[in-house]
Amino acid sequence: METGAQDGSSGYSTMDDYESLISTTDAELLKRAWQNEKAAPQILRFEAALIQRSREQIKLMEETVGEFTRNGIDPLTVSLYQMDLDRTVFLLRSYLRTRLQKIEKYVFHIQKTAELWNRLSRQEKRFAERCIEDMEKHLDQSVLSKLPSSYKSHLKQSSSSEEDDMVPEPRLDTYVICRSKRFLGAFQLDDRQFPVNIEADDLYALPYKSIKPLVETGQIDLV
Amino acid sequence: MANYYDIDDVLAEEEILPVVFQQAADCFGLLDSSDDTNEVEAGAKAELPFWLARDLHVRGVVAVDVPPYFRKVSRTRKEIEADAAHVDLRGRCQYFYELGLKIAPLVGDKTIGPFLLVAFQTRYKEVLVRAHTAASAVAPKHLTLLTNEEAKLYEAGQLSTAAFKKWRMGGPRLQRAPVLGRKRKPIE
Amino acid sequence: MYGKKGSELVKELASSEPGQLSAFNNDLFAQVIDECTGHLHHLGSLIRKIEELKKIEEIKKLNNQELEESEKQLLKAHNSGALIHHLSLLRNKRCLMAYVYNRAETIRSLGWAVERVLPEEIEEKLSGSEKEYFKNHAASLQSYMSELDLDLAVDMVPPKDPYIKVRVLEDIGNVLLSDQSANLARHAILFLRRTDAEQYISQAIFTLMLW
Repeated sequence: METGAQDGSSGYSTMDDYESLISTTDAELLKRAWQNEKAAPQILRFEAALIQRSREQIKLMEETVGEFTRNGIDPLTVSLYQMDLDRTVFLLRSYLRTRLQKIEKYVFHIQKTAELWNRLSRQEKRFAERCIEDMEKHLDQSVLSKLPSSYKSHLKQSSSSEEDDMVPEPRLDTYVICRSKRFLGAFQLDDRQFPVNIEADDLYALPYKSIKPLVETGQIDLV
Repeated sequence: MANYYDIDDVLAEEEILPVVFQQAADCFGLLDSSDDTNEVEAGAKAELPFWLARDLHVRGVVAVDVPPYFRKVSRTRKEIEADAAHVDLRGRCQYFYELGLKIAPLVGDKTIGPFLLVAFQTRYKEVLVRAHTAASAVAPKHLTLLTNEEAKLYEAGQLSTAAFKKWRMGGPRLQRAPVLGRKRKPIE
Repeated sequence: MYGKKGSELVKELASSEPGQLSAFNNDLFAQVIDECTGHLHHLGSLIRKIEELKKIEEIKKLNNQELEESEKQLLKAHNSGALIHHLSLLRNKRCLMAYVYNRAETIRSLGWAVERVLPEEIEEKLSGSEKEYFKNHAASLQSYMSELDLDLAVDMVPPKDPYIKVRVLEDIGNVLLSDQSANLARHAILFLRRTDAEQYISQAIFTLMLW
C-alpha cells in the first residue's frame, strides 16, 4: 500500500507525447500492469491506486448492465457491455492471481528481501504471512522434526551453513520480451560489450536482470 | 542455492564421477564392498555421485577425474564434431549439459564450456525442427538420443505447436482441471 | 551407495506427469529418514573419536610432543569419514525436502481447481501433513479473497462469450447461480453465465458444448 500509493502511471509523468497520454486509460493501464506482472520473473510493485479505480469502474459497469437489463434495452447492447465488463474483471482477477502465485512460490525469498516485501499490498502481506506459517508447519511435520538437531532449519541446510542456502529465488537472468513506447537510446547491458539501441515500438528479447530498472520505472513494458 | 528444490538439479547431482581417494576415509559401507573393513584406503579408486565428490574434491579428500565423455581427447568429442545431432548423449549422461557446467569449474578445464556450447547449438536446431514437425502421439526414436535438457525443449516445442494448432482451429478453452486426472469415466 | 534411496524418491517425482500426484511413498520416505539417523549415529561416534585424538594431541603438545604418524592418519580418516556422513545427511535432507516441497506445489495448484474439498481419489494419495497443509492453505487463500471480496478461483481463461452452453454430467440438484437458480440434473443442457459454469467444468460436473 505504502509504496503503491503513487499513481500507476508515475513513470510516464515526463511523457509529452499527447497521443500516448490519451491512450493510457485505466483499462489500458490495467492491461499493461497485468502483462508486466505475467511476464516478470519477480513480483512487481502493487498498483494500488489503479486497482482501486478499476474496482470502482467494475462496480459502475455492473450497475449499468443491471439497469439496462431491467429497462429492457436491446440484448445485443447489453451483451456488449457485459463482454467489456467481463474482460476487465478477468484482467483484475488474473493480475491478482498471478501475484498470489508468485508469493506462494517465492514466499521465503520475498519475506527476507525488504524491497520485495514492500511491494505487496496489505492483504498480500497477510496472505504471505499465512503461506509462510502453513509451509513451515508442513515442512516441519513431514521432514525437519525427524532430522538431527543441527539439520532442522528450513532456511539453512545445516547449522554450519553461513547463509540461507535453501531459499528458492526467481531467476532474474531469464530472457523476457519487451517493448518501449519511446526511443530510449543506447542502453548498456551488464555483460555485453555493445550497448543496445532501444527504439520505440520495437520488440527486444533481453535478460530481465538488465532491464529491471526500466520495468520498475515504467519505461519499458513486458509482453 | 536458489534452486535447492529443483528436481532436475537434484537428479543431475546424482550423476556418477570417477574419483581417486587422496587419503583414507573412515566410512562404513560407502563403497558397497563385501569385506567388512570400515576404511577406504588412500589411492583407492571409486565412483561417487557428484554431490559427494564435489565437496570431497574441494577439501582434498578425493581427486575428481573427468568422466570419459568430457575428456579433451575422447570419442564423444570426435562424434560431436562429425555429426552432433545423431550422437547418443543420453546414453552417456542424462544431464550432460548440467553436469558439464558443474564439473568444468571444479576441475578447471576451460575446454568443456565451448564444447558444450557447440554440441548444444548444433543439436538444438535438430531438436526444434523435429519437435515442430513430428506427429505428436508416437515417441520418435530420436528422443532416445536426447539428454534430459534436450528432451524438455523437445516437449516444449511440441506443446507450443499443439497450442498454436488449437488456437488456429479454436478448440475448447474451458476444461476440467488436469490435476483431477483422467479417472472420471465418460458417461455413455 | 549412500543417498540412493533419497534420489529414488526424487526420481519418482520426476517421472510423474506434471501437475499429477502419485501416492505419498511412506515406505521409501521412512527409509530415507532411517538412513539419516544412521548417518547421525556414525557421525556422532566419529566425532567422539576425533575429540579423543585431539585431547591426546593437546596433552602431547604440553609435553612438546606431536601425534604419532599413525594417529595423524587416523585423525584424517576420521575427519573425512565425518565429512562424508555430514554430506550424506545434507543430501538426504535435500531429497526429502524436494519431495515434500514439490508435492506441496502441486497441492497448492489443487486449491485453485477444487476450492475446499478434495476428491476422494486425490485425498487418499496425500500424507496426513499434506491433507492439513491443503486445508490450511485453502483457508489462507479464502481469507485473502474474502478480505478483498473477490473470488479469484473463477475466470481462469480469458473470456470470449459471456454465456456458454454446457451439459451436466452428474445429478447435483438445485443450485443458486448469480442470475438464476438452475436444476443440475444429469444430461441436462444449460445455457449459463461463464463465470458460474467454470467451477463446475473444472470439477468435471459440466462439460462444455461446442455449438
